[in-house]
Amino acid sequence: MIENGSIEYRKPLQWGEHDPHRRENTQIGMWAWLWQRISALAIVVLISLHVTLTYRPLIQLLLLLAVTFHAALGLRVILLDFNIVGVRYQRSLIWGLLGLGLVVMALIWFSIY
Amino acid sequence: MAQTSGSVRNIRVFRYDPQQGGQGRFDSYALNIQDETTTTILDVLLRIQREQDATLSFRFACRVNMCGSCGMVINGKEGLACKTNVSHIPQGREITIRPLNHFPVIKDLVVDMEPFFKKYEEALPFFEPRDESCEPAIVRPDSRERQDIGMATDCIACGCCVSSCTMCHYHEGYAGPAALNRAFTLLADKRDGLFGERLDRVLASCYNCRTEFNCTEVCPKGISSTRAIKYIQRLALKHVRRHPVPADAGEAAGVPLTSPADEMDRRTFFQRAGVSLVGICLAMGVAGVATTAFVGPSLVRRPRLWVPVISFSSIPVGEVTTVTMRYEVKDGPYTQQIAEPVHISRAFNEIVCFKASCTHLGCIVKWDAQAGRFRCACHGGAFDRNGNVIAGPPPAPLGRYQFRVDSDRLFVEVS
Repeated sequence: MIENGSIEYRKPLQWGEHDPHRRENTQIGMWAWLWQRISALAIVVLISLHVTLTYRPLIQLLLLLAVTFHAALGLRVILLDFNIVGVRYQRSLIWGLLGLGLVVMALIWFSIY
Repeated sequence: MAQTSGSVRNIRVFRYDPQQGGQGRFDSYALNIQDETTTTILDVLLRIQREQDATLSFRFACRVNMCGSCGMVINGKEGLACKTNVSHIPQGREITIRPLNHFPVIKDLVVDMEPFFKKYEEALPFFEPRDESCEPAIVRPDSRERQDIGMATDCIACGCCVSSCTMCHYHEGYAGPAALNRAFTLLADKRDGLFGERLDRVLASCYNCRTEFNCTEVCPKGISSTRAIKYIQRLALKHVRRHPVPADAGEAAGVPLTSPADEMDRRTFFQRAGVSLVGICLAMGVAGVATTAFVGPSLVRRPRLWVPVISFSSIPVGEVTTVTMRYEVKDGPYTQQIAEPVHISRAFNEIVCFKASCTHLGCIVKWDAQAGRFRCACHGGAFDRNGNVIAGPPPAPLGRYQFRVDSDRLFVEVS
């Protein structure tokens, strides 16, 4: 590592390394970021399943759920990017948009079936 | 939670000895704390250093949340040791103290802040006046720009935000929340003359922000770097830079001051506007001709087509026969081969040719001879022998084709 006379620095600690309480102290904004990425992967997998095994209501439901989730969190990022909603409300936006997304998803689902 | 006899807390502190090297370890101490609500983590560290372990190293100076020296990670969350009370960590929970992330560790809780300040300097964190004037500048306290900047100038460079941002680890060139916040306070300041250079440097790295909001959560001064970074990203939309200044522009103070307003003179503007206008018109013309050529023919009403299906006498009576019609349709320059099923229901004295498209969302329906109904696999719709809906979501009866019989051939009209 960096040599300064006879001192050997330790390489930088990284996020979560030697950090027993990091997970429980993770804030909701970080979870929103993480779940946005996870739902993106889920959408890729579910779309492939959906077009190969068509007309399966379970796959359709899961896909709709993943898309709703991803869209709700994505809308939050858009609203924050363009300052349509101030960053003060970033936590409220998570729950507000997820709730709205679930309502819209229910409307879509029950108008199909 | 004042207790007369005090409570014993377990404290684990990260230790690293530069003489020994290695990965570091956690040392445990037990401390009896009289009043948790008025004892800070800094007090705890000082007591450990005085009473139990004189080799413990950590930084501090003002001890009143003003200098930013004592930034560290306490129970998984960055913060100032002098601002975090012991009572913030619930009773029964151990207290874990560890140095900031992303900076080399010198000893115990002391990190090398050199990388932090290097990033800070790259964002040109100093003020250069734009106009020379003997009068003070006037910025109203209720003006938009003053409110935009808000209290972001309060940054004490403690490093908590950079430590909490995961993107600072994954992207070497990322300026980090602190540097970008400082840049923001100056970019939003209309008195400042280094707008161009600073914006170029900052735009090179500000897109590494992934809106995690960790910086906002941990800042001891309540500054939101995410807000600052979003502001900078919006500035990029408003001030499109065509000739970016290279990152190491050297002595920025010696560069002649420019402002975005006088980048281009009027003649150049009109020349460029004129050429652009002519270009747009040409493009629209070409696009219009191409679109009409390709799309036009399909908008013309196609004449109805009579398709031969099956020999009339070979249709069994009292049953539903399914035949696949094959025919060609010309659609502009594109000829399409169509295969469409038709359900022919022949009773003793009548024939009905049903369309095979379910009236719900268009899936193909199949005739189920055992159950005596048409079934749609998509959403469970069902139609009876006469095409009426008996189950499921379809809103209307099954469609029918016009047909005629000509010399023992059944013809069906498709459109």
